[in-house]
Amino acid sequence: MSDAWFWLLAAGLCASAVSVVRSRDLVRAVLWLALGLLLTAGLYAYLDAPFLAGVQVLTYVGGVATLMVFGVMVTRRHTSASAEASNDSNAVGVLAALGVFALLATAILKTDLPESSAPTQTTAELGRALLDTYLLAFEAVSLLLLAAIVGAVVIARRRDVETRETRGSAALPSIRVGRTEAD
Amino acid sequence: MTLVQCLLLASALFSVGVYGLITRRQAVAMLLSIELMVNAANLALVAFAKYAGAPTQPLVLFTLAITVAEVAVGLALVMLLYRRYDDTLLDAASETKG
Amino acid sequence: MNDPIFLAALALFVPIAAALFLLVAAPVRHRGAPAAGVCVTASVVALAAAVRLVFVHAAQGDARWTTTWISAAGKPIAEVGLHLDGASVSMLAVVCLVALCVQVFSVAYMHDEPPRGYGRYFSFHALFLFSMNLFVLAPNLLQAFAGWELVGLTSYLLIGFYFAKPSAAKAAVKAFWMTKLADMGFLFGLLWLFVATGSFEWTTKLAPEVAVGVTLLFFLAVVGKSAQFPLHIWLPDAMEGPTPVSALLHAATMVAAGVFLVVRADPLFAQADATREVMLWIGSFTAVFAACLALVQRDIKKVLAYSTCSQLGYMVAALGAGSAFAGYFHLGTHAFFKALLFLAAGSVIHAVHSNDLADMGGLRKKMPLTTLTFVIGALSLAGIPGFAGFFSKDLVLATLEGRANWIPWAMLMGAAFLTAFYMGRVVCMTFFGALSHKAEHAHEAPLWMSGPLLVLAVPSVGAGFLGGWLAHSLGAHYETHVGLTPIVASTMAIAGLLGSIAIYGRRRDASVAGAIERLDKASMVDRAWELGYRRALLGVSGLLGWFDRYVIDGLMNFTGYTTIEAGAAVRGAQTGRMRHYLVAVVVGAVLLALMGLL
Repeated sequence: MSDAWFWLLAAGLCASAVSVVRSRDLVRAVLWLALGLLLTAGLYAYLDAPFLAGVQVLTYVGGVATLMVFGVMVTRRHTSASAEASNDSNAVGVLAALGVFALLATAILKTDLPESSAPTQTTAELGRALLDTYLLAFEAVSLLLLAAIVGAVVIARRRDVETRETRGSAALPSIRVGRTEAD
Repeated sequence: MTLVQCLLLASALFSVGVYGLITRRQAVAMLLSIELMVNAANLALVAFAKYAGAPTQPLVLFTLAITVAEVAVGLALVMLLYRRYDDTLLDAASETKG
Repeated sequence: MNDPIFLAALALFVPIAAALFLLVAAPVRHRGAPAAGVCVTASVVALAAAVRLVFVHAAQGDARWTTTWISAAGKPIAEVGLHLDGASVSMLAVVCLVALCVQVFSVAYMHDEPPRGYGRYFSFHALFLFSMNLFVLAPNLLQAFAGWELVGLTSYLLIGFYFAKPSAAKAAVKAFWMTKLADMGFLFGLLWLFVATGSFEWTTKLAPEVAVGVTLLFFLAVVGKSAQFPLHIWLPDAMEGPTPVSALLHAATMVAAGVFLVVRADPLFAQADATREVMLWIGSFTAVFAACLALVQRDIKKVLAYSTCSQLGYMVAALGAGSAFAGYFHLGTHAFFKALLFLAAGSVIHAVHSNDLADMGGLRKKMPLTTLTFVIGALSLAGIPGFAGFFSKDLVLATLEGRANWIPWAMLMGAAFLTAFYMGRVVCMTFFGALSHKAEHAHEAPLWMSGPLLVLAVPSVGAGFLGGWLAHSLGAHYETHVGLTPIVASTMAIAGLLGSIAIYGRRRDASVAGAIERLDKASMVDRAWELGYRRALLGVSGLLGWFDRYVIDGLMNFTGYTTIEAGAAVRGAQTGRMRHYLVAVVVGAVLLALMGLL
């Protein structure tokens, strides 16, 4: 494995990331994200984390990206023109992103990072660590996933009567806070 | 392929995510940006495991699980938003305006 | 059932359980009769426990149980519990007996009340019994203070029982004010005692000047609670309450709490001769002064009220003379015959529907039983030899022999004459002579009312013979003897009775009263207090009111106004747009990180 692979993967990753945030069409953005995640999986493999690479492909590319596509399809409206960022918010976004990057880069470059070539955990060690040292966290995460599934179902469940009644922002009560007397 | 290079790459990806989060107006697109940012963080963790010998790989797994949960709930919220406002533009949901 | 602590706890907690039950179970309270049943049952249990306790105490001696109430820095600074010795055990029995008699009497007396009022009345009675027992059984001054204040509260509630009547509401407030003013003395005395010794015990040893100061403050509270001059003015007004209430609270038990406090705190008062001197003079003066006022009252209850002041004066004088036992003995006998007199008077009032002596007369034939019991009470109060009042009054007078050039002794002898005289007057005007217009339709009281009268008549006659036993259980010495004091006292009593019969026996409206009427200084004392309260209190409260309205409220309003304005100023920042919030988050994070970097 040479540096060339790294630079190749990095370049692809950056390109797909930018495409995700710039793409007009949401389906394409999701696909660009899937590509980016795949490339990340490649980077994991490059960084001696083959198991993580596999998990990344399975859950992210296979699961999350698919889920996203569904989400986009279900909520699709053909008003993508209005969905685009305006120029001023574009400028704010660029400024914020540059600010964050400058900050992180400064922090990284100024820090005296340790360099050690200790062997990384093998998959076997990783599995043992998960079911031994991190057992409690492991179980907690399983509980969290269960709660998330139930919660998602409860939130997204269609409540027809209620939905029709409250459809449209006009039906929502407008709440005014403060200044009631001064006005 | 040193630690610094990997971290700089992760920072770049994270910044792109920030940009997307701020400029995109559709809820699904914002979720995508968040995914980018989480991915960047995971990358940094794996890099630490490789070059600094830190036992951070289990952490990456947990992060993945939590992100999946977040996406599930987030998409459910998007559905709700869509049903209520007939749109997935988060700008529509501005009841908290002072 | 031989554990004295258990019996005392029973007498203490059964009434409060009844009171709490009646408080919570509003339907029971509102129906009236069941509430009376609950209250009377609780009192029966309490009385049974108290009587059993007397015998257990006689066999086993003193007992004490305490538990920590307030602890600071790991050290208990206050305890609550039960203290059982001769004084508290016998007092408990007296209180429970009189309370039960009064409650049973009330069952018939208050019968015309609407059910809600009826239930409320008995709830207060249960609360009172608990409060009084809490006070009586107190192992230290702090718990005594708690009971003392609770008793004051129930007194206020019961005086103002007919609160729709303005005079009753006013009387309740007046009683509350006067006794609270006096209770300040108790509170400050407690604080001083604690600061000086770090203890609330009855038996603390004190430095001489502290002892005088603390006991004087306690005595101020006694003056208020036991209606001594010049704080006595609330007691006659307290007669606005139902007559059984007057019998229980304002004759037999509550007003005697002041005397009982001094009996308990005798070790403290024994260290302060100056305080005792003050008590001697105030007690003697009150005895004579109140007896004079009792002479001219037209309201049968007010006669008895002033008589109570006067008799409490006897007790205080005896305590001032240094004999706690004499004061306590008179307290016990007085509780019986004064409760009897009040209940009998209640029976009369119930029959003729008036308090005015002028509306009564010739009731002897209509109400023989009431007449008999009232006369027994009157003879006992007058101190006719053989009756309970004679023994205790004789003991009080005997302790005063030779004190302060015999002056207090002479004053109390005069008061004894006046006592016999005004009781003779009341008996003549109520039960003898021609039948008055209002009395024509009077009839004997029902069994519920006459029963308690008969029960109370027994100790009113015979309690005097218990003196030796009581002295033994209190560790005091007591013997009857024939000497100067008993002879003079009985002569005074008989002379007073004969004198009043001679004057009032023939003509009902004697003009003697007119001459004594000028002695009615009560209204003047009243007016002095009223002026003092009005000037001082209203002035101070006006000042405080101004401060509250403009400074405190102004501060509050300014705070609220500033908050509203500040909120209005920054509300624009809340756009409700997610993106703006996100930018704010990013900017905040960057700034925070910058802070860390720089």
